[in-house]
Amino acid sequence: MEQFSYIDASPNLDVIFSALADPTRRAILSRLADGDASVGELADPFDISQPAISRHLKVLERAGLVERGIDEQRRPAKLKAEQMALAVSWLEDFKKFWGSSFDQLDDLLTVMKQNKKEDSNHE
Amino acid sequence: MSELPEFILDRVFDAPKELVWRAWTDPKYLQRWYGPGAETTIHQFDLEPGGLWLNEMRWGEKAMYHKVVFKEVDKPNKLVWHHFSSVDADWNDAPNPMMPHWPKALLTTVTFAESDGQTKMRLKQVPMDATAEEITCFAEAMAGMENGWGSGFAIMDTLLEELK
Repeated sequence: MEQFSYIDASPNLDVIFSALADPTRRAILSRLADGDASVGELADPFDISQPAISRHLKVLERAGLVERGIDEQRRPAKLKAEQMALAVSWLEDFKKFWGSSFDQLDDLLTVMKQNKKEDSNHE
Repeated sequence: MSELPEFILDRVFDAPKELVWRAWTDPKYLQRWYGPGAETTIHQFDLEPGGLWLNEMRWGEKAMYHKVVFKEVDKPNKLVWHHFSSVDADWNDAPNPMMPHWPKALLTTVTFAESDGQTKMRLKQVPMDATAEEITCFAEAMAGMENGWGSGFAIMDTLLEELK
């Protein structure tokens, strides 16, 4: 992850998956979905230090999932929905590919069974 | 990472194995169900070890291509193939712009077992000749599919509510 020297406006989805693979980072995102929060506010419910929260935020920032406010004191973290939507929908598409195809196969098999019955009736 | 991440999908079809096999291996039938909501064209289909399945899926202007090389054909029990999901219209390897570390090839195994006139199918996909990055990318996507992403979807729900 550390190879990124700048914050990419449109990071690759694998960077997003990687950022989302950690339960603490997902919990941070859940918290941010309720509203912007400072590092201190984010660290509160977790049993980890503020520097550790800051490190997690950096990973989320690099994945384009979070942005930090310019307020010098608090630098509140804010959730960026677009990247999240991109990753979630990509994963959904992969999962749906086979599932939806198999729904179509179900329908086709019903037709094939019907045709087979008709064929054997003609014999 | 010693063990490769797997994508496994189990499904029961209400039809005998012989019929399910035909729907899978006769391109005339296969192109009717393969690809969700897509207009699927099968350009080549040689059902034998080393044989190719060249597949085009089209959703209006958008097209996706994949290349399959069959490895094992055990009628009507088992199909094994190498699945190349990222190829261009000339069937050459092309990087996936959205997922540069998605495995280029997936070893795919489909098995069929019949009981009481129904067919139990299992589809398994594992990364093949994958780099460490590809394995990690696939593992994280698979882990996300099984767990964890619940909160991802919950966040999406919250955001969509807000956007309404």
